[in-house]
Amino acid sequence: MATMLQGLQFYPGKSIVHRLDPRVKLFLSSALLITTLLYLEVTITTLIIAIEAILAIISRTMKRWIKTVYGAAPLVIAVFAMNYLVRSFSYGEFFSPTGLYESFAAAYRLIALLASFSIFFLTTTPEELGMTLTKFKIPYMYTFAFVSAIRFTPVLAEELQTIMDAQRSRGLELDKGGPLAKIRGYIPILVPLIVNVLRRSYELAEAMEVKCFGASKKRTFLKELKMSSKDFAALAMITLFLGSAIYLRFFYPLRIP
Amino acid sequence: MIRIEEVEYIYPNGCKALDGISLEIEKGEVVALMGENGAGKTTLLKHLNGLLKPTKGRVLINGTDTREATIASLSKKVGLVFQNAEDMFFSSTVWEEVAFALRNFGYEEEVVRKRVEWALKFMELEKYADQSPFILSGGEKKRLALAIILAWSPDVVALDEPTTGQDQLQKEKLMEMIKLLNTQGRTVIVSSHDVEFIAQLRPRIILMKQGRIIADGRAEEIFLEEELLRSCNLLPPQIVSLTTRLEFIGIKPSLSHPKHVAEEILSKLGKPAP
Repeated sequence: MATMLQGLQFYPGKSIVHRLDPRVKLFLSSALLITTLLYLEVTITTLIIAIEAILAIISRTMKRWIKTVYGAAPLVIAVFAMNYLVRSFSYGEFFSPTGLYESFAAAYRLIALLASFSIFFLTTTPEELGMTLTKFKIPYMYTFAFVSAIRFTPVLAEELQTIMDAQRSRGLELDKGGPLAKIRGYIPILVPLIVNVLRRSYELAEAMEVKCFGASKKRTFLKELKMSSKDFAALAMITLFLGSAIYLRFFYPLRIP
Repeated sequence: MIRIEEVEYIYPNGCKALDGISLEIEKGEVVALMGENGAGKTTLLKHLNGLLKPTKGRVLINGTDTREATIASLSKKVGLVFQNAEDMFFSSTVWEEVAFALRNFGYEEEVVRKRVEWALKFMELEKYADQSPFILSGGEKKRLALAIILAWSPDVVALDEPTTGQDQLQKEKLMEMIKLLNTQGRTVIVSSHDVEFIAQLRPRIILMKQGRIIADGRAEEIFLEEELLRSCNLLPPQIVSLTTRLEFIGIKPSLSHPKHVAEEILSKLGKPAP
């Protein structure tokens, strides 16, 4: 449970991907996502995963990017199984090559889908995320809530670990007994965690009020997002990529194996 | 009793918290782990009941390698009291809170009852038995955390930063408890950077810095070495600072009780104690 939460943690980096304007990165991830949705062909999906892998290598987030993909494995397997089952019944024959191929393509596509946005989240700080939302004219109150939720995830992960350690020191064995006993085993962990989270949020609310949060209607920002020439270049490249993907799909149907 | 051999521990994030620790603690010793934040005190304590397993080297508790035993079976021998007591409370009553671990360890209900009553009495908490653990004061929470551990009577009691956020009265109570536990023949290990508290306890001190042990000796000796303490961001106890500054009139720097130091000063001044 704790490692899963730690996977969401942001690690600062200085690669060219990290330094891109978060809006461009959002557009990049969206472009990859849309392209994935447009094509069912395994070759194109492979191409997209290759692009995502290259981005992960450039941004030096390969290890954690692979972890995200691994984390999605149960979901991917479930999608494959469901597809295969439904197709087998509708085709009226099991082990049909088309059925297998199409189920595989669907599951494979899911990997590309999930991986596209992990590129964005792995290289964007919570602050940048907040600035992006502000640029999209989302009220600061919601932006703040969203950003602090993300920022508190690692703190929560740490707290969870401490609580688990404390309870295991009292002889709690989480992997013992039947399913019901296992669920009961989580009560001693969840209760202190919820108590701590509630206490922490009250503290945060008080700290914010002390600093006059929401005192003035119109906010100004110290740091604002500005597009640099690099960002525009990236934007142009992504637009070209997305544009050709759409064009090839709808107006010039290529025969792809 | 406790044998730590060349232990190295690296956290999953790559941080090296212990860097070649070798240590032996005999039964019935009182030991203080001292050092600044991040020196590795808590990490070392977590090795004693197997919550963390060494990356290199090994930890032996009564001859058992911690890698070959479950946390539950090790915890029965080494009771670890965490710094933040609230991290472990979840029951609706103080009584249930203490009984939880005993039931995990599989004691008979009759034994559970007796032990809970004994632990609550020992920690002067019996009047709260039917109350929620969350309504207790800071000091009482700390005592409840200790009662929870003492209920199953571990041979080793390890306390992580027991004095943070405690007032003087609570500290004195804690001191009494530690001394009492020691007279019962238990090993007590305290991690702390509360110099005055440890000075009063006068244990064996293990000074840690950046995951290494840089000094190991009696409090009476270690606390006289100002340079050494300063290198760990610690200051000597006030009584040591005072006696050191009075060395020129013939007072020996020491960790004596203030009363004795006062008598010594008065006799040097040629005035009788009132």
